[in-house]
Amino acid sequence: MNQNIASICTTLQCHQGNADKTALRLIHPDLSRTDYTFKQLDQFSNRFANVLKSIGIQKRDVVFIFLPKQLEVFVTFLGILKTQAIAGVLFSNFGREAALERLLDSSARVLITKSSLYKKIETILPGLPTLKKIILTDIPEHLDESILSFSKLMEGSNDQFETEPVDTESPALLHYTSGSTGKPKGVLHVHGAISHHLLTMDEVMQVEEDDIYWCTADQAWVTGVTYGIIGPWAKGITQVHYTGNFGIREWFEILKQEKVTIWYTAPTALRMLIQQEAQVFNLPQEFPDLKRIYSVGEPLNPEIISWVNQRMKREIYDTWFQTETGGIMISNRPGIKVKPGSMGKPLSDVTAGVFSEKNEKLESGEVGSLRLKKGWTSMFRTYLNMDDAYRSKFHGEYYDTGDQAKIDADGYFWFFGRNDDVINTSGHLVGPFEVESSLLEMDGIVDAAVIGAPDEMLYEKIVAFITLKPGFEWSKSFEIKCRIHVSNRLSPVAVPSEFQVTSTIPKNRSGKIMRRVLRARYLHQDEGDISTLEE
Amino acid sequence: MTVLEELNNVFETVFEQKGLTITPETTSNDVEGWDSMSHVTLLLAVEDHFNIEFRPFEIANLKNVGALVDLIEKKLKEKG
Repeated sequence: MNQNIASICTTLQCHQGNADKTALRLIHPDLSRTDYTFKQLDQFSNRFANVLKSIGIQKRDVVFIFLPKQLEVFVTFLGILKTQAIAGVLFSNFGREAALERLLDSSARVLITKSSLYKKIETILPGLPTLKKIILTDIPEHLDESILSFSKLMEGSNDQFETEPVDTESPALLHYTSGSTGKPKGVLHVHGAISHHLLTMDEVMQVEEDDIYWCTADQAWVTGVTYGIIGPWAKGITQVHYTGNFGIREWFEILKQEKVTIWYTAPTALRMLIQQEAQVFNLPQEFPDLKRIYSVGEPLNPEIISWVNQRMKREIYDTWFQTETGGIMISNRPGIKVKPGSMGKPLSDVTAGVFSEKNEKLESGEVGSLRLKKGWTSMFRTYLNMDDAYRSKFHGEYYDTGDQAKIDADGYFWFFGRNDDVINTSGHLVGPFEVESSLLEMDGIVDAAVIGAPDEMLYEKIVAFITLKPGFEWSKSFEIKCRIHVSNRLSPVAVPSEFQVTSTIPKNRSGKIMRRVLRARYLHQDEGDISTLEE
Repeated sequence: MTVLEELNNVFETVFEQKGLTITPETTSNDVEGWDSMSHVTLLLAVEDHFNIEFRPFEIANLKNVGALVDLIEKKLKEKG
């Protein structure tokens, strides 16, 4: 069997009798729908694979998609993989700097986007020498040799494409993730990852042929790719995708109207549903078709579990994984008793352990670093252009996740937080360095430090501490300017929820920001060892 | 300048989209980048521009730009 991810998701499904089955049900903002069969997805992605070949794309070239949720995201993603080029997706709300960093680091050759988003790219194009072609989904004709019309290209393209058999170690997917320091890192995954994706669809999601599956994650997120494209289609399952923004009425209506059976979402979205439900009337009270709900991105708190159990009368299962792991590693799931608040248990192809700072495996009940033994197929293969950083994540045979956890006597894992300063805000990881750099570009700010602080809605909120130029006055208007700047340069997700003006930022003697001290001050906790604090 | 025209300027600034045109029927699905995260910044910018203050319950269920314009006009009237 050809292990090409896109081939398994489309061509193989057609050969297995699913050609006329609905693969993708796109729900539009007015809740009308458009269905696409596996055969159509296969043909559309074949056409796009031919398009890429015709413009000179070769194996291992990087092609990025910069679009909101729409048909072309799925078609182009699959087409890219069929050519054995590497597919990446950018959040459509990314600002200029966030897009530039990723396109530049990956030496992307082609970008698929739309006119309104292209305006952001246009300003950074001079800094992207390898980006040769831009394909716009909403122009009828090519603009010139490098700005091409998607529809025009597809019009003249053959819907037959012979997908070459792929080596399981061939690179396929590129996701960027933020770290405590420096720029985001390109996490590279291979085609062979699909065997772990399939295993998780069986062990965790436990999908059946007639399931209607809805993963609400954006395709720019690892969840949106693994569980919003690959996993369900590799199992021949019908997926629902909503092209509108989050809205309680719409989401509830989709669950009911589309008879969703498996729903995979995030705690922040559920918290927003809980908060808003009280304000909205005439919502569906029953979800007869819904079998199970899964959650990812941040730990589920008891309030959500209890609301889902009581309001929706269903079980909710927490799942844990990272961009680097490529698929679910530890989860609650049907068949094992759910311990509310726990991460659950590792999957059958995962060996997880908790280790001390001295690399000793800890006994149950002790908190330490959560590590995973190498060997699962969706493990990342490198950080693009940062092989040293990749190697530093391994301790012998184990990958260090950067998370703190403990194992209880029954083998359940419990999450305790991060080892580093990365902020998990509404399921998105934000690197403090990126936000600080962005704030420092504001005239008036001389120093900045950013931390994550607990938040009821977002799990963690971003709090910025800033030092102003002498004589410069803080005002609401200036705060708004800062917010707009960060939002358009990085992303709305990276915008601090709170700003605090301070006279100094605590740093150690080598000039490193002591975020731990800031966090303690913010939370009115003991600052701990401050012997290295700069005088 | 009408409230809608002034609001249009705020939208252009917040979403950095010169030439953006909003109408009373415009919703978050029609404006690139207008999501639940950027909504907070948008409302702060609106408050600052019109020198008004929203209460949480007033902004919880704004359906479209038209509803936001109505709310701004109400606030301006209250302010005198």
